Amino acid sequence: MSALQFIEGPLFYFAAAVFLLGAFWRVFGIIKIGRKKDISPPKGSAVGGFIKGNLRHFVPRGLFARRTWLHVLGGYSFHLGLFVLFFFGAFHIKFIDQYLGLSWQALPRWGFLIAAEIAFAGLIVLWVRRISDPVMRLITHKSDHIGTWLTFLVMLTGCFALQQSHDMLKLVHMLFVDIWLIYFPFGRLMHAFTFFLSRGNSGATYGRKGINL
Amino acid sequence: MHDLTTKFRRTPAGLLRIVLFLVLGMVWMGVATQATYAQSSVRAPGNAVNLPDDQGSANTLGNVSDSEIWDAIRGGNPNAIEALTGPRPEGAVFNTTGQQWRMLREGVIRKYLGWFPLVVIGLLAVFYLLRGPMRITGGRSGKTIHRFTLNARVAHWFMAGVFIILGLTGLMILLGRPLIAPYLGLEANSILTSAAKEGHNLFGPLFIIALVWLFIKFVGSNFFHIRDLKWIFKFGGFFGGHVSSGRFNFGEKTWFWMVVLIGSVIAATGIVMLFPWLVEDVRWLQLSTILHAVGAVLLIGVLFGHIYVGTIGMEGSLDSMLKGEVDENWAKEHHDVWYEQMTGKSAKEDQS
Repeated sequence: MSALQFIEGPLFYFAAAVFLLGAFWRVFGIIKIGRKKDISPPKGSAVGGFIKGNLRHFVPRGLFARRTWLHVLGGYSFHLGLFVLFFFGAFHIKFIDQYLGLSWQALPRWGFLIAAEIAFAGLIVLWVRRISDPVMRLITHKSDHIGTWLTFLVMLTGCFALQQSHDMLKLVHMLFVDIWLIYFPFGRLMHAFTFFLSRGNSGATYGRKGINL
Repeated sequence: MHDLTTKFRRTPAGLLRIVLFLVLGMVWMGVATQATYAQSSVRAPGNAVNLPDDQGSANTLGNVSDSEIWDAIRGGNPNAIEALTGPRPEGAVFNTTGQQWRMLREGVIRKYLGWFPLVVIGLLAVFYLLRGPMRITGGRSGKTIHRFTLNARVAHWFMAGVFIILGLTGLMILLGRPLIAPYLGLEANSILTSAAKEGHNLFGPLFIIALVWLFIKFVGSNFFHIRDLKWIFKFGGFFGGHVSSGRFNFGEKTWFWMVVLIGSVIAATGIVMLFPWLVEDVRWLQLSTILHAVGAVLLIGVLFGHIYVGTIGMEGSLDSMLKGEVDENWAKEHHDVWYEQMTGKSAKEDQS
């Protein structure tokens, strides 16, 4: 078994298992904690607040929009760019097809490159904002840095391997993918699965109190 | 990152060791490049012999040549400057600028250009040993003054991040063959160059975005002023003496315009290389590779000076780009005119 076969085979299965089980366990644990029983009479819908709280956070509030436009732009650029390049990159679709038997239309190469440019620009903006803003520095945990850099390295090694000229470059990319998957449940990358619970919790609390979000 | 400036202040000796280590390492790489070139000199094989004149024209040792035939094929003197700049000569079967380009790239750029950043680092190391860091006279006041907005800082670090990636990948593409291949092998160099090329091409467009962003955020304070002449005559105060300055001094303004102007050339030539069908004449591509490499290495060299002054070379400088705030005494000492504009107080009378 070659190193690439090992990294794409047993190590990938292990990493994917840690990712899925770990992420499920974290989300399950958060839901299991539940919420403290609120004995006050409800003035509005908690469920409505949960949904509204989630949707409302997708748009910056007018009061803060001028101050946060860069953060918002960086956030959307990175997440949308990453979504597109992961789910519509030809190599990724082929990879998913290999394991799950699912396939769909891939982006042309130029589209993939533009998505990658947007994702990289967004990620760099988010990280340099993190180190340039004193308030952000105070609320930043080392896990934020590790998660950001691991994601950056996965993307960077992926772009290094674009020419598909050497197995070694694919090996390095897949190795970082495996590391990223294993680290995911243990750090703040988990926000990908928990953000809706956090937003929803605040939304439900306010919704029950009848506060217009 | 929060304690970065403190660490810089507390461990200059440690940093000096790192700088010296880097300098020695890079000098070794430079010497290695020269040695590689020395080994790869082209010469006639040891068993080469001259044929008699009537037995063919390919005289190995060069007593007889077919220069007239080759001149005709090339359409004239290939070394004439018109060959590089003018239209292809009448009757020329092929142009020879490719060979000139290759000789320039192999014989000059790859051989000597990499020394420029090394020389800059060497000079900075010597300057640091002799002069040491420029401390804030009277120490820190504890009071700060706002210098850069968050967006300006993000624009700066965005450019820095993109430039570092492009610089590293670009140097690997340019110098991989003489520096990496002889030591790690052709296969390793091929892998690294393939990776560097893809990374360089992908991050290139981000450099253009960074350049436009940086220009918009900083151009307002970077126009030259008559007081900048004093900065030039006093060597920026690096060898002592006070130099009056506005928000940016002459050195900072020069660096800004270097980044903007040379960066624009790098961006334009990069676009030509990325989309070669934009130009019809191959000489534009040849010219682009030369200008791109020369401009980039020039910026990399001067960048070391910028990093030096922004970190270990001048106490308190890094705060401006990490926190957006600088100590008032730093502002009075290095940017007194700007300090007075910002606070309405005199920098001399209020010196604490």
